[in-house]
Amino acid sequence: MAEFSWLPRSPLEHALVAGAYGARDVEPGIALTEIRNFDLVQIMARRGRWADLANAAKARFGVSAPDTPKAVSASDVTLIWSGPDQFLALSKGGKHTMETLSQAFSQSASLSDQSHARALISVTGAQARTMLAKLSSIDLHPAVFPIGAAAATSMDHTSVNLWRGNDRPDGQAVFNLLVFATFAESLWHTMLDAAAEYGVDIGHSEEFA
Amino acid sequence: MRIVCPFCGERELGEFTCLGDAKPVRPAAGASADEVFDYVYLRDNVAGETSEHWYHGGGCRAWLKITRNTLTHEISSVEPAAGVGAAKVGA
Amino acid sequence: MVSLAQTHRLESGGLIDRSAPLNFSFDGKIFAGFQGDTLASALIANGVKLVGRSFKYHRPRGILTAGSEEPNALVELRSGARREPNTKATTAELYDGLEAASQNRWPSLRHDLMAVNQLFAPIFVAGFYYKTFMWPAKFWEAIYEPAIRRAAGLGRAAGVADPDHYDKAWAHCDVLIAGSGPAGLAAALAAGRIGARVILCEEDFVLGGRLLADGGTIDSMPAAEWISRTLAELAALPDVRIMTRTTLFGVYDGGTYGAIEQVNDHLPSPPQHQVRQRLWRIVAKRSIVAAGAIERPIVFTGNDTPGVMMASAMRTYVARYAAAPARRVALFTNNADGWRTVETALGAGLQIAAVVDARPDVSSEHRALATKAGFPVLNGSVVGVEGGKDGVRKIAVSLIGGARAEVEADGLAVSGGWNPAVGLTSYHRGRPKWQDDISAFVPDSAPPGMMAAGAANGAYGLGACLRQGFAAGAAAAQSAGRAGNPGTAPVGDDETFSLTPLWHVAGKGKAFVDYQHDVTASDIELAQREGFESVEHLKRYTTLGMATDQGKTSNVAGLAIMAAVSAKSIPETGTTIYRPPYVPVAIGAFAGHHRDENFHATRLTPSHHWAAEQGAVFVDTGLWKRAQWYPRSGEKDWLESVTREVKAVRGGVGFCDVSTLGKIDVHGPDAGAFLDRVYINTFSSLAVGKARYGLMLREDGMVYDDGTTSRLAEDHYFLTTTTAKAGPVMQHLEFCRQVLFPELDAQLTSVSDQWAQFSIAGPKTRDLLREIVDPAEDLSNEGFPFMGAREVALRGGIKARLFRISFSGEMAFEISVPARYGDALVRNLMLAGKQFGVTPYGTEALGVMRIEKGHVAGPELNGTTTAADLGLAKMMSTKKDFVGRVMAGREALVAADRQVVVGIKPTDKTRRLRSGAHVIPKGEIPGPDNDLGYVTSVCFSPTLDQWIGLALVERGRERIGEIVHAHDPLRGEDYDVELCNPVFYDPDGGRQRG
Repeated sequence: MAEFSWLPRSPLEHALVAGAYGARDVEPGIALTEIRNFDLVQIMARRGRWADLANAAKARFGVSAPDTPKAVSASDVTLIWSGPDQFLALSKGGKHTMETLSQAFSQSASLSDQSHARALISVTGAQARTMLAKLSSIDLHPAVFPIGAAAATSMDHTSVNLWRGNDRPDGQAVFNLLVFATFAESLWHTMLDAAAEYGVDIGHSEEFA
Repeated sequence: MRIVCPFCGERELGEFTCLGDAKPVRPAAGASADEVFDYVYLRDNVAGETSEHWYHGGGCRAWLKITRNTLTHEISSVEPAAGVGAAKVGA
Repeated sequence: MVSLAQTHRLESGGLIDRSAPLNFSFDGKIFAGFQGDTLASALIANGVKLVGRSFKYHRPRGILTAGSEEPNALVELRSGARREPNTKATTAELYDGLEAASQNRWPSLRHDLMAVNQLFAPIFVAGFYYKTFMWPAKFWEAIYEPAIRRAAGLGRAAGVADPDHYDKAWAHCDVLIAGSGPAGLAAALAAGRIGARVILCEEDFVLGGRLLADGGTIDSMPAAEWISRTLAELAALPDVRIMTRTTLFGVYDGGTYGAIEQVNDHLPSPPQHQVRQRLWRIVAKRSIVAAGAIERPIVFTGNDTPGVMMASAMRTYVARYAAAPARRVALFTNNADGWRTVETALGAGLQIAAVVDARPDVSSEHRALATKAGFPVLNGSVVGVEGGKDGVRKIAVSLIGGARAEVEADGLAVSGGWNPAVGLTSYHRGRPKWQDDISAFVPDSAPPGMMAAGAANGAYGLGACLRQGFAAGAAAAQSAGRAGNPGTAPVGDDETFSLTPLWHVAGKGKAFVDYQHDVTASDIELAQREGFESVEHLKRYTTLGMATDQGKTSNVAGLAIMAAVSAKSIPETGTTIYRPPYVPVAIGAFAGHHRDENFHATRLTPSHHWAAEQGAVFVDTGLWKRAQWYPRSGEKDWLESVTREVKAVRGGVGFCDVSTLGKIDVHGPDAGAFLDRVYINTFSSLAVGKARYGLMLREDGMVYDDGTTSRLAEDHYFLTTTTAKAGPVMQHLEFCRQVLFPELDAQLTSVSDQWAQFSIAGPKTRDLLREIVDPAEDLSNEGFPFMGAREVALRGGIKARLFRISFSGEMAFEISVPARYGDALVRNLMLAGKQFGVTPYGTEALGVMRIEKGHVAGPELNGTTTAADLGLAKMMSTKKDFVGRVMAGREALVAADRQVVVGIKPTDKTRRLRSGAHVIPKGEIPGPDNDLGYVTSVCFSPTLDQWIGLALVERGRERIGEIVHAHDPLRGEDYDVELCNPVFYDPDGGRQRG
C-alpha cells in the first residue's frame, strides 16, 4: 500500500518567486505577500434572517457582522462584507472552519466553504495605490477607502474581495485581496507587470500581515 | 458610464451586465402561451426613460432594476431586485 | 551629412536648455537642437522649411502651427519596429538621437515625382473618387484602389509588432482641469485652495499654455514668475495632481474622461519596466475645460507655401524656442492679436517686411509701432504667395480700394482670429453657439458637470482668463462638496480683442482650407453647387476635417465658406458633430496590458502544473487552459496519443481533470423547490446521497445547459454546469433567485474554485479508488451504487466527495478534493494507479468517449436544440412550472420534422468524418431545399476502429439505418454515411452500472 502525502499546494506556488522583481535601481515601492493556508467561510443570511444571523455572528465572533462594505476584525477572525446580507469569515488555525461554524449558524444562514477557492494577496508599499490604480476602477484615496473599508469588485476582469487592513508600522497602507484560485496566477502576472516599474519585494507567509 | 450600486456604491460599467427590459413580468404558472410569448419576446423600444435589469456580477452579485434614459444614458434610479440578499419578503 | 550650425537659432532667450545640445536626423541628415525643443522648433532653428508633401497633390508643405492642431508637419518618427507614422513634429519632443523622416514623397522630399498629381489637379476635386471609380465594380479592388493607395496616403506603419508596453490606469478627483494656461492654472489654484482633489492635464511638456510665448503681467509680476510661484503653491497642496504630456481626449458617461499620457515618448525608448504611454480613465465630479483656443488660418491663394505660418505659432517659435522661422517677416491679420507677433519678432531682432491688415483701420499704438520700426501697414489682403520648396519669397497684396502691392519676405504670419477649443464641451452631441464679437463658436452646453473657462469659453484677454478660470475652479470645488477658502484671484491685464471677419480671399490658384486632406476653397464651392450643402454632407463629400487633425484648423473656415456661397449665416450653416478622440490615440494604449498571452485572463486547473510536467498539450477553452492530450515519446501524432488514452480507460483505468465544470452550492430550505423551477426535471424528490442529470432551458424553450446535481444534505445541493456556461448559468440562477422567484429561501455560492474534481473511469476504477480511499468506505455496487454521491475519507486524513457518475460510459467516479489538495491527488492517483496502468487523459479522449456513448455536449447544446431534439423529451416534467416550459411546447418546437440527434458512420469504414458537413438525401443534388441537417461532432473511435459522429438530422430517429450523403463544400468532400443510434458503445449501460 502506497504512502500518500497530502501537502496543500497554493495556486500561486508555481508563479510566486520570492525576492526582488522589476526595477532594481529604486527602493522597492511595492511589497506583495501571499498568505497561505487559511480558513474562509461564506456566510449568507437565509430569507428574512439577517437579524438572526447578526446576533449569531456577534455571539460567535464578538464583533458585529458587516452589513455595509467593511472588514471587521476580531482577535482571531476577520469578517469581510461580500454582498448584501452575506460576509466572509477569514481565519487561521482551524478556529472558524465550516465544521465549527455550521452549528452556530444552522438556523440563520447558509454556509459555503471557500478556503480553497481563493488566494490571499497582501499589497503594500509607497506605490501600492499607484499600482492598484492600474488594476482597480475604484477610488482608493485614504479619505474614501479608509482602514476597514472593503469592496466586492473586479480587477483585470476578475472578481476580487478587496479590503484595507491596518497600516504597517511604517505607516504604509495595506490592501488585502482575495482572488479566485484558478484566476490567481493570471492576476499575479498582471500585478507583477503593473508593479515592475516601482520595484517589487515578493514573499509568502503562513501568517496574516 | 458609472452606476451607483445600492450596496457597493459607485462602480464602473464593466462590473455590470445588462439583461434588458425590466417591464415584462414573468407570468404565473398556468399562464397561456400567448401571455408567455409576450413576456419572452415583446419589448418596447423606448426613446427616453426605461427600466432595465442589470447584474452586478463583477461586484456583489445583486440584480438591480435601473431606470435609464436611452437618449442621454442618465440613470435616475437604481433599486435592488425583490430577492436580493436575505430579501425581507417571504420570510 | 552633418549640419550643426542651427542657422536660425536666436542668440538668446527661449525656454530651451542651451547647455544640453541634442543631435537628431531628418531624412538622414544630422542636425542639432537643444533640450526643450520640439522636432518642429529644432527644424526651424536649422532653417528647414520643407518638411512634408501633401496628401493628394504632393505639394511641398512646411510647419503651420506649434501645437497638436498641426495639419502639415507630420513625420515618421523613429525606425524599425518603433516607427510611428503621422507624428506631429510640432508636439514631438526632441531627444538625442531622434530619427525622423518625411512622408508621402518619392524618391525624395525635394524631388517628389508624385507632385505630377498637381498637373491633374482639375480632376482631383471634391467627390473625385465617387465620380470616377464607379464601375466596373471589380476594377475597384484590382486596379483603382491599389493605384490610389500607392499615390496617396501618409506615413507607413511599422508593419511589425510594437516592442513597447502600454498600460491603463484609473484616477479619481473632484475637479478635472484640461489645460495649464492662465485659466487652467487659476482654476487649479482656486479648487486646490478650497481643498478639492484636483487633476490638471496638460498636453505640453511645459506648463503655462500661451503664457509661455505671450508672457504678460500677473499680480504685478512677469508671467514666468507667476507660473513658477503658482506651481510651487499647487505642489504644496496635498491633493492636486499635475499631469504633463497628458491630453484629455474624450468625455464619457457618468463623469468619466479619457486621457493619454505620453509617459516616455520623449525618450528614444522607454526605460526598462516602463511603459511608452498610459491610458487614463479619470472619474471626476466636475471638470473645467481650459484648453484654450486655436488660431485659424485665412484661406488665400498659395496659403500652403512653406513659410506661411500661424502668427501665434511664429511667436511661439521665436519666444519659447528662440528659433526664427523667417528673417524678414510679413503679417497678414484681420485682428489686433496678430500684431503680438510683430512685437515679438521685433523684440527678437527680426525684420518686419509689412503688416497686411484686413481691417479698415488699425489702432494708433500699432501705427506708431510701424512708424518706429519702419515697416508699412497695408490695409488689404494677401492674394498670392510666390515661393515654393524653399519657402516664401514674395507676397502679393490687394489693397482696400483696389490697388496692388508686393512685399518681399521669407515668412508670412497669418492670423484669422481664434476658435475656442470646443471639442471636449461638445462630445455629448453638444452644439456650440456663434458669438458675434469674436466671430467664433463658443460652448453653449456641456456634458453634465463640465464647464469651460478662458479662451476655450471665448474669453480672450489675460485678465478675463484668470478671472474665469479662478471662478470656475472655485465653483467646481464647491459643487463637488468642498468648502474651503479660495483666497484671492490672480489679476492680469484686460486686453481688447478687435477683429473684422475674413475667411477667404478670392483669387486664382489653389487656396487650402484643410491642409491635411488637401481640400480647397473651390472644392467647397463645388460641393455646394452639387447640392452637398449640409455641413455633414460637405464633410463627407470633400473629406474636410476628416484627417488625423480632425479639422482643428479647417472646420470653421470651411463652413464659413459654405455659408458664404450658400448665402446663409455661419450659425445657420452650423457645425458637424464633434466626436472623441481629440487627438489620435494609439490602439496599443487602449489595449494596454491585454495583448499576446495577456489578451485575456487565464484560468488554470489545480492539476495544471502537474500536467505541464507530464508534457501535456493544452487547449484554450474559454479562459481555461485544459490538458488536451498527454503525448508519450514515440507517438507520431495526436490521434495516436488520444487513441492510447481511450483504450487505456476502456481497458483499465484513467483519469481526467474536470475541475473546469461550473460548481454551485445551492443551500436553503427551498433549494429543491428552486431547482425544480430551473430544471426541466425534478430535484426536490432526489434523495440525500444521490446525483441526477439535469437539463435547463432558456425561457424561449431551447436547451440552455446540462449537468449533474447531487443532494448532499436536506438543504444542500451541489450543482454542476458545463465548462463553457459556468459564468452565464450562475448569472441566470441568480436572476431566477433574485428576480423571478424571490419568495424561495435558497442561497447560491460558486464553489467552482473550491474543488479540484477528477473523473476516474474504466473497469479498474474501483481498484484504484480502494488504494486511496479509507478502507472503511464501502465502494461496492451495493454500498455506492450508480448515481450515488457522498463524502468519503481518504487515506492520510483528508475528506473527499465521490460521485458515481459517468460521461465515458465506463464504470466511473468523479472525485473532488479541496483545491489545494488537487495537485497531491493527481500525484497520489499516479502512485496508487501504477499497478493498474493508470493513464491521465485529456479533453480529446474525453470527447471521443462521450461521442462513443452518444452524450451531447457543446456542439449539440448550441442554442437551437430542444430537449426532444437531444432525445431527452422524457425528462420534461409535466407536473410543475419551470423556466422554458410553456415556450418549449410551441408548435415549431415540437414539430415532427425537427432536426434531432442521431449517430453517423461512414459506409466506407476507412473514411474520415468532418463536423460541419451537410446531410443530404442519397442521390439528390445538394442544396438548401433538401438539406436534412449537419454533422455536429466527430471522432475516430478506437473502440469501433472507425470514424463516427453525431449529427442533427431532420426526422433523424425515423431515418436510423438510412444511407445519406455527407456534403462538405468547404473541404470539397462528398461521401455516404449511415444514420444510426447515437449510442455507439454499451447501449444498455451495463458497464457504467456494473
